[in-house]
Amino acid sequence: MSLTTNKNFAPDQKGQGWKIFKSPKLEPFLYLSPSIILICLVIFVPLVIGISYAFQSISLFRPSDTGWIGFEHFEDIYQDRKFYKSLRNTFWWTFTSVILQFSLGLGLAMLLKAGFKGQKFFQALIFLPWAVPTFLSALTWAWLFNPVIGPLSHWMFALGILDEPYNILADPSIAMYGPIAANVWFGIPFFAITLLAALQSIPDEMYEAAAIDGASKWQVFSKITLPFLAPMIVITVMLRTVWIANFADFIYVMTSGGPANSTQILSTYIFLTAFKKLDFGYASAVSVVLLVLLLIFATLLLKMRQKFVRVN
Amino acid sequence: MSNIELREISKSYGDVEVMNDINLEIQDGEFIVLVGPSGCGKSTLLRMIAGLEPITAGDLLFDDELVNELAPRDRDIAMVFQSYALYPHMDVARNMGFSLEIRGEKAQIIDQRTQKSADTLGLKGLLDRLPKALSGGQRQRVAMGRAIARDPKAFLFDEPLSNLDAALRVEMRLEIAKLHQRLGATMIYVTHDQVEALTLADRIVVLNEGKIQQIGRPLELYQSPANLFVANFIGSPTMNIFDVKQVGAELQLVNGALIGMSGGGAAVSFGIRPEHIAIVAQDKGHVVGTAEVVERLGSDSNIYTQVEGLGQVLIRHHGNTELNIGDKFGLEFNVSAAHLFDSDGIRLTLDK
Repeated sequence: MSLTTNKNFAPDQKGQGWKIFKSPKLEPFLYLSPSIILICLVIFVPLVIGISYAFQSISLFRPSDTGWIGFEHFEDIYQDRKFYKSLRNTFWWTFTSVILQFSLGLGLAMLLKAGFKGQKFFQALIFLPWAVPTFLSALTWAWLFNPVIGPLSHWMFALGILDEPYNILADPSIAMYGPIAANVWFGIPFFAITLLAALQSIPDEMYEAAAIDGASKWQVFSKITLPFLAPMIVITVMLRTVWIANFADFIYVMTSGGPANSTQILSTYIFLTAFKKLDFGYASAVSVVLLVLLLIFATLLLKMRQKFVRVN
Repeated sequence: MSNIELREISKSYGDVEVMNDINLEIQDGEFIVLVGPSGCGKSTLLRMIAGLEPITAGDLLFDDELVNELAPRDRDIAMVFQSYALYPHMDVARNMGFSLEIRGEKAQIIDQRTQKSADTLGLKGLLDRLPKALSGGQRQRVAMGRAIARDPKAFLFDEPLSNLDAALRVEMRLEIAKLHQRLGATMIYVTHDQVEALTLADRIVVLNEGKIQQIGRPLELYQSPANLFVANFIGSPTMNIFDVKQVGAELQLVNGALIGMSGGGAAVSFGIRPEHIAIVAQDKGHVVGTAEVVERLGSDSNIYTQVEGLGQVLIRHHGNTELNIGDKFGLEFNVSAAHLFDSDGIRLTLDK
């Protein structure tokens, strides 16, 4: 028996089996293993299974025709006109919603920051859209647009926006504005609350220094407020964009992607493909495409953040 | 460059009046220091001059022109904040040139002016740094550079040195003094530190509880304080104050000792600075005391002395002292340098 004193090679025969776990590289991960295993089970495994569906034929209408098919789904997607239509709609739906939610939310946040009578009450009221279940909001908005029971089309007619009071959700050229309106109403609070918090963290002295330096209101906003808000704007816009791109509730309830796929976005297309057509394989393949697109978007935005955001 | 005049300025928050009847005329190129304990209203006054705080009543004039309602941007003043208030997302050069950028100056002129003020303050190598990459002293310099670069009518300083350590504070105090000599600009400086006030000011304005206590040149305040507050506030260590009463033609301390002064009947307090008490033999002097604590500062010694029937008396002895704790000795007051105050705390003018 050698007399080496290196503790990793301790001459204790009983400890030999445990030696591998004592390695300094592995040891920390052993302590973390309970949470790592849990995360793998809950997130990683379903993700891998889901992605694997994209390369298989799994359709409940063709139960005999199951198995690995390689990139066949993706080749189908490449030629799927409904997919392209949904993709275009997804961009339209996502960016219109995010831009309107953001700008109106920022305006509301500035209003709340400035302070007015009854502000506390309104601040509480702003949270309300979030307290309502999305399906209920979607139904309510659908009814609001319905000329038989809702006032909106009559108002739009009175304002001259519509030629006659009809349901815009039934008009393929403008149906998308229905779910977008509902989504904007639903999403403003998120931006208002987060941006209000960011606004309140800007030291008053910044505004005082800017006032003394001679900045006008617009210059204060563009040269002081916006740079301070930038980190929060990047994060919230990224989160909202990803959520909205995946958010099918309003469209599914209000239009089900119709009429004539004019409001079909990728997430409703995926949902309908999976649970109406019961073609899980194809739905998974479309999901993978959407996932890749969102990852590219998030990476671009985070790169932009590194470049432009200087306030930490 | 301009002269600034405050006429019966007052300030209230709702029903609470925090400042009243402030009258002050500041000459072109003068260095005025507003000094007082915290909460005396000195910063509020400065912010009213800057336009950051509305004026409740009274007139504020720049070059004989009423500016009460002018926004800060139209008053053409520069301000150095206590926290520096540098824009964290702009580098040093842009911070200094921001007011020029706002005014729409040409890039070349902005560059020239920032370079010049960076040279003045020794910030040359730091122009492309962000504020977070600077030390406290450097940030302070940038804040001053920002004020210099815009060449304003007047400079306002709101306790600019209080976030610096002691050594840096002395250094920057000197820089500010030099800056004032070089620029010859009107400067208004707020501080609670009497050393800054005494060293920098052409004239000092002592404020307490929203009222001006005294306006005067630094030595004037030291030699002839208007009242008990100023007497106590200016001078370090602080003045010894004792109650006195008139006995015959002479004033008597509460322990019975006569001090060889006449108070003209009105004097109730006797004030003597620690440096105006001499240590003499026990049988000489006005009173006898026992040394309790001796602080040896090298150039001076502070001797905290217990005098029977009078309490603690502080003596400042120039140079080192042989005294030890427990030693008994006589205290002789230099009455020609002493002050008498009446029952309202107002200093009495003595015919010596």
